[in-house]
Amino acid sequence: MKDVITKEIQFNHSIDKVWNAITKAEEISIWFIQADFKAEAGYQYTFTANPNEKGCTIISGEVKQSSPYTLVYTWVVGDTNVETTVKWKLESTSSGTKLYLEHSGISKYAGDTAVAMFDSFNGGWDNCISGLTSYLKDLVNAG
Amino acid sequence: MQDKITKLFKAIADPTRRDIFHALVIASSALSITQISNQFDISRQGVTKHIKTLEDASLITINSKGRERFCYANPKQLKEVNKWLKFYEQFWDDSLQNLGDYLDNNS
Repeated sequence: MKDVITKEIQFNHSIDKVWNAITKAEEISIWFIQADFKAEAGYQYTFTANPNEKGCTIISGEVKQSSPYTLVYTWVVGDTNVETTVKWKLESTSSGTKLYLEHSGISKYAGDTAVAMFDSFNGGWDNCISGLTSYLKDLVNAG
Repeated sequence: MQDKITKLFKAIADPTRRDIFHALVIASSALSITQISNQFDISRQGVTKHIKTLEDASLITINSKGRERFCYANPKQLKEVNKWLKFYEQFWDDSLQNLGDYLDNNS
């Protein structure tokens, strides 16, 4: 078993179009999460999930590397203080762009806590990460 | 807690330990250290060291009977980590799907 998740996906779009989609705050905010983001090494970014809902979780981190076409940033959920790393890499292909995604360091999360937390989810992130926030808050208050 | 998960990943990082653990899961009963040594062609001392690491990670339980020690698998631990990885698998699948839709709609 690894503590890394890797994804590979092919898009029929130019590499610059995909690069913009993953590096420009206004684009990230549309398809991913409301973002305060700059693709510059050292930038402290913030992703705010479903800001309309009260108490939703913030994902934050630091941009470690941004050079076309590799983007690396740390990924910290809420106030967990657990730092994982997300890496995006693009490659031009004859039919468009190949995207590689790598999310590493997952073993750094606390064991049972994380498991219980994710048990409360059914499906994707779309349900908003607010459940996670309240869960974490409960844990902090309880602990 | 964090310490616990670190131990778990350390334990499963080694291929021999994974094999030993796997053998214990398949046996679905206790195996003695002697039996494990014979099966893996490594020294008793080597096996002892590996099972200690597995025990630290709560992957196995060791019971002593007379002079022999018996090991039981405790696969619940691995299942928990799996659930965790599954969550992010789903999250990234969904997100990349959204990215694809976004790109297609902005051609």
